[in-house]
Amino acid sequence: MDERELIARARMGDEAAERALYDAHVDRVYWLAYRMCGRTDLAQDLTQDVFIRTFERLGDYRGDAPFRSWLNAITTSVVLNGLRKLKRFDAREAVLDEAAMVTVATREAEPDLKERMAQAIDALPEGCRITFLMHDVEGFTHEEIGTALGTTAGTSKAQLSRARAKLRIALADFVGEWIQ
Amino acid sequence: MIDDTSSDDDIIDERIRALAAGHFNAPAGDPPRDAMWEGIAAARRAARASGAAASNAETTHAPIAPTTISITPLIERRSHAAAWRWGAALAAGLILGIVVDRRMAHESSSSAIPPVAVAPSNASPRDTATRPLTPDTQRNPVPVSDQSVAQAPKSVTPRTPSILDRSSPSTMNARPLASRAPLDSAARSLYRVAATQTLVQAEALLTAYRADQSSRDPQVMLQAARWARDVLSSTRLLIDSPAGRDPQMRALLSDLELILAQLVQLSGTPLDANERDLIERAMRERDLLPRLRSAVPAGLATS
Repeated sequence: MDERELIARARMGDEAAERALYDAHVDRVYWLAYRMCGRTDLAQDLTQDVFIRTFERLGDYRGDAPFRSWLNAITTSVVLNGLRKLKRFDAREAVLDEAAMVTVATREAEPDLKERMAQAIDALPEGCRITFLMHDVEGFTHEEIGTALGTTAGTSKAQLSRARAKLRIALADFVGEWIQ
Repeated sequence: MIDDTSSDDDIIDERIRALAAGHFNAPAGDPPRDAMWEGIAAARRAARASGAAASNAETTHAPIAPTTISITPLIERRSHAAAWRWGAALAAGLILGIVVDRRMAHESSSSAIPPVAVAPSNASPRDTATRPLTPDTQRNPVPVSDQSVAQAPKSVTPRTPSILDRSSPSTMNARPLASRAPLDSAARSLYRVAATQTLVQAEALLTAYRADQSSRDPQVMLQAARWARDVLSSTRLLIDSPAGRDPQMRALLSDLELILAQLVQLSGTPLDANERDLIERAMRERDLLPRLRSAVPAGLATS
């Protein structure tokens, strides 16, 4: 059964068709969510939310774009909203824990390359970070990223360029070895 | 020189890309497909059930509105009656809000699991995922009557809070579990009270609007707009609160927000036929009133 037929049947509430669509796309959705949030429990919650919303809104899907692109747009929207909510909550909690954090923050050993890279990616502006992860890490095209983020392929290219430049600067200590 | 720089950048970018792909939140093992699907399927079943309940309720309530409107012959008398009805509905909404507040506060303080009746549209995917689907619920998954709503708490497993309802890992680790549990329970209870209050207010508002949508009294329309603005503020806050994490509740609140945003535009001038038609159609297409009535615990609805 092809995807169009599955979508038509899922629209009519066919649970088997919904499951087939889920099986076809769940890995990609889950791993993208996981790349963006870095937590398995949160990635699972977000993946569930993505598919619940997808099936709820299936009536809005007109078939102009590939289903995968439409699903990507929902995924990025759900994940970004989830992360923003979490960030707001964390910001409130951080104020409460501020005093403790100050006393604990003693000088530690210089973080190694992996840690530095993770910090640098986390520190990127949201648009740059998502674009970098989607393009360079998960292999999305600029067109797919533009559709998913509600921008254009050109914007995606610009964001990626900015992200790479910032990462180069952040990891400048290691760059010398790589070029040699 | 430019070529060298560009070439160096390419090398660096490639190293960063490879490093990120291999180490930044790198996938490990398979995603728990079946476990995630259980939650999704349960939420879908609940959504289908609440949709069926809404359409049943709509057929029960729909014929009432036109009859009410058609028996008001004089504009002046209608204006007075309308003003009285809006005032009464507003007062009823406020009183009900207080009643809901007190009732839920009492219930949450008297038991660890508050036995508040929850309509099916409120059920979160995790609720239903953790609840075994008995033959009884399979045969009749749409509890719309008071009796079935009142029975609901007995069979509902306490909700496992979504990860987004909880704090981050760092802060969770920082605080002992024992001290966090009562806070979570109290917070959930507060959000439930707030959601119920808002839904009760919204139902009263929309019922009053339906009855008086042809009113020509500017004061009545302004009063309705002010009331709608208050309810809209609460609705928007709820959408971004943990109460909005429940997919069904979120969908209901989003639809409600849309209608309220239109009602807020009431400026005191009589609505023309197109405006009335738009609002009425939006309410009808989203089954808003029946869904609100289903979501409000039995005995608290204004109609």
